[in-house]
Amino acid sequence: MGKNNGTELMRHIVVVADMKLGAKGDLVVTHALGSCLGLMVYDPVAKVGGLLHAMLPLSKINRQKAKENPFMFVDTGVPVLFKQVYAAGGQKQRLVVKAAGCGNPLGKNEMFKIGQRNYTLLKKLLWKNGVLLESEAIGGTDSRTVYFDIASGTVKISSCGKESLL
Amino acid sequence: MKQNRVTEIMDKVESFPGIPGTAVKLMSLLDDPDSSAAQIEDVLRYDAGLTANILKLSNSAYFGMMTHIGSVKQAVVVLGIKRIKQLVLTSCIGAILDKQVAGYDLQPGELWRHSIAVSVAAEGLIAELEMPNGDDIFTASLLHDVGKLVMGGFVQKDLEKIWNAASKGVPFEAAEEMILGTNHAAIGAAILKRWSFPEKIVDAVRWHHNPEDAHEHSVIIDIVHVANILSLMIGIGLGFEGLNYQLMPSVTERLGLSTSNLETVASRTLQVVNELSGLLEDG
Repeated sequence: MGKNNGTELMRHIVVVADMKLGAKGDLVVTHALGSCLGLMVYDPVAKVGGLLHAMLPLSKINRQKAKENPFMFVDTGVPVLFKQVYAAGGQKQRLVVKAAGCGNPLGKNEMFKIGQRNYTLLKKLLWKNGVLLESEAIGGTDSRTVYFDIASGTVKISSCGKESLL
Repeated sequence: MKQNRVTEIMDKVESFPGIPGTAVKLMSLLDDPDSSAAQIEDVLRYDAGLTANILKLSNSAYFGMMTHIGSVKQAVVVLGIKRIKQLVLTSCIGAILDKQVAGYDLQPGELWRHSIAVSVAAEGLIAELEMPNGDDIFTASLLHDVGKLVMGGFVQKDLEKIWNAASKGVPFEAAEEMILGTNHAAIGAAILKRWSFPEKIVDAVRWHHNPEDAHEHSVIIDIVHVANILSLMIGIGLGFEGLNYQLMPSVTERLGLSTSNLETVASRTLQVVNELSGLLEDG
């Protein structure tokens, strides 16, 4: 987790197959979400949150990689994200969960719908655990950058030169 | 108007930097079956930066072997000519491809990372499909987007018009063509022609978005097509246009590709790209 020196804002960059936690005044950023899932989990009371940037749906495709880095896959990354937010003081009933990314290239090739498979698996995992998505910016062909402000819980999406709040 | 643009763009292709002299000398030496490791070392002796990069790459997990490689001569013997050619090209082309690219909104280093990703993913796909790995797949992949360096400024100027066309479901390279009269794949092919690259590499670059338009199908075009889109999907080199490119189902059918092939390659690509681009960035 990033350290806060007084009120100084820490900027954490989450790369592909990565997850970072933030607290108080931190800003957690992830760039260029294509088919990957960006998942933001936030506790507005404890003011802690985490951002996961997962690449592929199921870890069975490469167990060794999943062992080295659970954040590469949705099925292994999502539970670790929630556990780490709990460990940092987050409580399940207060969590606000938002999702972005999961895009797909043009064309009807099912094989390349990795984004869609990432999203379907996320919904299944959340449903099984009784967690609802507050909001989402999912699908399409956009490249999305996410700015997750841990002080306010605000999630800003930047895409094609435009910004919007999630 | 469109024709004027094409003329302007082709003028830029004419003034685009040539491939570095040492690389040209080395490539012809490496193509000559009679050349020796000592001759290759002689050429490299005068280019300390290139030598250092070749040794760094030779010892990387991706290109390297278990043994530590301490000299160019040893690298030639242990890795073989094909790999050495790839290392020379990777090292020389990095300086050209690591620039910021306007229009596509790629930060410095991002086009370079994308080029490496497509090369690694392409070799990964070939291995997954148990196909023979020719010399040219890595090279074509590394160079497939070189045209973006010339097109960037032009795309930037007409971005609104291009984006208007693309947002109606037209693939981005087709939108470039509608507004500017040409696209980054055609311009990349024109650059490689000037650099005297073999026809099959020029063709793979030319048709990397439209494999069906090539005069004949080839594995190299199909593989670059798939590796490119896969790399964009995992966010490496994903620019302003996002995933606004079309994946051709006929290509995956021809290759006999499965979802599991695709995801396995994606899972293996990321770490190698980080390792290789990091090695060359450190100077």
